[in-house]
Amino acid sequence: MFKKFDEKDSISGVQQLKSSVQKGIRSKLLELYPHLESYIDQIIPKKDSFRIVKCHDHIEIMVNSAGELLFFHQREGPWMPTLKLLHKYPFFLPIQQVDKGAIRFVLSGANIMCPGLTSPGAQMTAAAKGTVVAVMAEGKQHALAVGMTSLSTDDIAKINKGVGVENCHYLNDGLWQMKAVK
Amino acid sequence: MSGPKADFVYPLRVQYCGNCSLPIEYCEYYPEYEKCKHWLERNLPTEFEKVKLEDAAADSGGGEDEKKRQKRGGKGMLKTKKKEDVPKLVTVSRAPRGKKKSVTVVTGLSTFDIDLKVAAKFFGSKFACGSSVTGDDEIVIQGDVKDDLYDVIPEKWPQIDEDSIDDLGDQKR
Ligand SMILES: [Zn+2]
Repeated sequence: MFKKFDEKDSISGVQQLKSSVQKGIRSKLLELYPHLESYIDQIIPKKDSFRIVKCHDHIEIMVNSAGELLFFHQREGPWMPTLKLLHKYPFFLPIQQVDKGAIRFVLSGANIMCPGLTSPGAQMTAAAKGTVVAVMAEGKQHALAVGMTSLSTDDIAKINKGVGVENCHYLNDGLWQMKAVK
Repeated sequence: MSGPKADFVYPLRVQYCGNCSLPIEYCEYYPEYEKCKHWLERNLPTEFEKVKLEDAAADSGGGEDEKKRQKRGGKGMLKTKKKEDVPKLVTVSRAPRGKKKSVTVVTGLSTFDIDLKVAAKFFGSKFACGSSVTGDDEIVIQGDVKDDLYDVIPEKWPQIDEDSIDDLGDQKR
């Protein structure tokens, strides 16, 4: 999603978020990520004002008043956390761990192939198709990508071929490199 | 993961590398790992010691481990940041505005990672005149303040010394 993203060319505008819309996003996030319950007031304080950065390819990024990038989504897709936010609160997405050999591919923006999720160094958390997941790696503590399952984890194990998790945002992509929005 | 862990205080603070911006455990995948190591050595000596130990371990017993891994095709490699070695230089020049007045053009502030909007606002209030961001890395100040900038810029942003401000003289518009 952010492989060719460049904050200079890909942003088309910034918009204040109406408080009603803000409430809507907040409740959607809680619905999607119930573990955020006790931290949502830290991440999206009710009194803070938020902005939406509109980008090409129907991508929107939610930004707080300090300019930190929090969540993003494409079209009508689910809101996903930026890696910087996920690193701060690493507990609200199911983890899919890839083996060591897959790390450099994930970091170059490739989708995560099933074998990288089923080999001995890998580990999966049960998830349905279309779930937003944190991609972690063998021997590492921090997530290296945020993705969405293209198959259920059962099918990933069974079929073991092709793309298992779509790579939506990874370390050092355009979103990672994007600076705080003033 | 199954929810917050009781023995952690959130938000966690992840240590990022000052060279490549990744969490330091991923520096080894960055093409300029050596530069990362230099940064680590200078800024986080304890982490640097750990990396050295791991490197040594990888050199001695790593071969076998490598063989066990499935070999994959393609070239999975990280790209370096685009903005790498842009020379850090600020230029100032004077350009005519109408018959009698001039404006001052400042470029290059963003090579020092300075936010142009903030800078433009600062100039505006400092010189009590109009000042705006006019290009990719260009600010135009309404008024002839070029000579003052040699003092004002280093004072406001100590990372810019007078020598890295280049005088382009008078420019035609
Ligand atoms: Zn690094």
